[in-house]
Amino acid sequence: MKMRIHSRIAWPFILTLVLTLAIWLIAVPLLEKSAYQKALINGVPVDLSFVQNTAIVISLTGLIVGLSISLIYTNRYVDDLKTLTEAAKELGEGKNQEINLLPMQNSLREMGELREALQKTAHQIEDQINALSKERAMLSAVLRQMTDGVLIADSSGKVQLLNDAAEKLFMISEEEALGRSVVEVMRHHRLVELWEETRDGPAKTITMEMGAMHKFLQVVGIPLGEELPGRSMLLFQDLTQTHRLETIRRDFISNISHELRTPMAGLKAISETLLDGALEDRTVARNFVVRMDSEVDNLTQMVNELLELSRIEAGRFNFDYQRIEPYRLMQKPVERMVLQAERVNLTLSYDCPVDLPLVFADPERISQVFINLIHNAIKFTPNGGRIHVTAYQDGHMVVFKVSDTGVGIAEKDITRIFERFYKADRARSGGGTGLGLSICRHIVDAHGGKIWAESVENEGSDFYFSLPVVYGEN
Amino acid sequence: MSRFTLDQEIRLVQDEMLLLGSLAEQAILNSVDALRRQDVAAARTIALEDKKINDKHFAIENHILIIFATQSPLARDLRLLAAMLEIITELERIGDYAKGIAKVAIRLADDETPVPIQEISTMADKATSMLHRALGAFISEDVTAAYAIPKEDDEVDALYITVYRKIVQNMIKNPESIDHTNQILWVIHNLERTADRVTNICERIIFIVSGELLELDSSDDEDQDV
Repeated sequence: MKMRIHSRIAWPFILTLVLTLAIWLIAVPLLEKSAYQKALINGVPVDLSFVQNTAIVISLTGLIVGLSISLIYTNRYVDDLKTLTEAAKELGEGKNQEINLLPMQNSLREMGELREALQKTAHQIEDQINALSKERAMLSAVLRQMTDGVLIADSSGKVQLLNDAAEKLFMISEEEALGRSVVEVMRHHRLVELWEETRDGPAKTITMEMGAMHKFLQVVGIPLGEELPGRSMLLFQDLTQTHRLETIRRDFISNISHELRTPMAGLKAISETLLDGALEDRTVARNFVVRMDSEVDNLTQMVNELLELSRIEAGRFNFDYQRIEPYRLMQKPVERMVLQAERVNLTLSYDCPVDLPLVFADPERISQVFINLIHNAIKFTPNGGRIHVTAYQDGHMVVFKVSDTGVGIAEKDITRIFERFYKADRARSGGGTGLGLSICRHIVDAHGGKIWAESVENEGSDFYFSLPVVYGEN
Repeated sequence: MSRFTLDQEIRLVQDEMLLLGSLAEQAILNSVDALRRQDVAAARTIALEDKKINDKHFAIENHILIIFATQSPLARDLRLLAAMLEIITELERIGDYAKGIAKVAIRLADDETPVPIQEISTMADKATSMLHRALGAFISEDVTAAYAIPKEDDEVDALYITVYRKIVQNMIKNPESIDHTNQILWVIHNLERTADRVTNICERIIFIVSGELLELDSSDDEDQDV
């Protein structure tokens, strides 16, 4: 290839040289010879300078023409090469262009091949860059969207990467965290210890509770070793929710045992006393049996509520939905509870705007929700207090509100009161089964509504539940 | 000594101080948790951990003194190191408060008398959250936060007064519970003092940035009225 390009550029020049040589070695001697012969025959003296001058002129002209042609060719090659070199340089700098369309002065095949080869390389580089950036975007999206926190630090303990979940966990933006020490970012001695151990040793997992937010974390430390020497990664899994569910389950089991044990113990005590001779005294015996009967009633109520709850929870409960006016939903249960409220010197009142749209509800079940809520309000409101029931529209929902002037609920309890057996204040909740609000929540959930509570301690509580408005009524 | 080394040394001390802060913070939370769960083993661990806090306090103090002696820091560096010397003392004290609460947890482990644990937990959460954010403000030299955090001390004080009244009433009603009540009084006092220490830390942050030494909260007084 190299040789051929050289020969092509040089051929006009070489041809001229050969011709000149031929003129000097063959034509000139031949011409001179014929001139001598002429002179010998004719006896005329010969002027040889003519022949030599002609030869010189021809040679020089040939030489100049040949050189010019060579120069023109060479210049064209050099220009083309320059163009391609520029293109290659730009390719190296990441600027992509259509090399195929570059103007070429010489249609030499080799130059064309070089251009093709460059073009191919350019396409390959572009493809690779695209593939890499796609992969990078995908990995980065995975890293960002991961629910687990990720932190990567170098061997000196400077943070090099922090994903979204970790940003939230440590309440610091990645921008602020990059380049800071792991101590400054994580702010917890156990996490720093884990990082130190991971840097010098194998992967390790710990579980811990972090700070005043009481976040329950499982943290895995992984040395990145061969791929990224000296760096290590910490993975944070937030198990707060799982931990909470575990606590609920534990509480549930301990509560149900406790709730069952109390009436059971009562029954046992009564039956033992009866067996020990109380049976002989009819009045005392009768008294005991009455108490047994009421204990059994308590137990039965609890078991029934538990069964109902598990039926609702399992979704095996049939609701009898109707289109109904909100005031009709609240009127019956509230009037039923008025007497009970008056007995403990409380005012129970209700109002309901008449222009509220129809809702979709099972009146029997919703009446149960009202009774449970009002019953609670009566239990937790001191003498002379007020309980008020009302309703209003909020978008596609009608919200019912039962407010009291009672003792209120502590902030910590307010999210848990709808759990089974959860009693915020065991001393005051007395004989309740701890299932009422849980049942309410399930009934409202089944209606597609929501139930929640707001409260200020020692000032009172507001319980809300919402029911969906009948379509087209809004 | 070159500038680079002094910067590095200060960073090292700062990281150590943050770790001490984390130990103190967790110690308070753990002590209240031990009290809630009546967990004697956990309470004993806190007493042991306090030794770690004290050792770390001395190690940092030593480190700072060596920097003073060998590098003669000036201006801002000097203020920073002097402030850290003060802050680690506050943190060590907070560790002592945790140890005090842990001791109460051990004493009350077999006592079935109800404890106002809800209020105590809230006080502990509030005070440790203030501590955490105050040290965060130290890192970022956030003066606004340093002025704002001590205001939250009022909430801790309010809780202190609520619990104080509650348990004193209880003490009057049930004189036999005096010992128990006294223990609880000790716990809430320690938590209230923890929040006050955070106020002192905030004063130091302002000192680093502005060079001014000022008292942020006049209620920061050992024998305040309740």
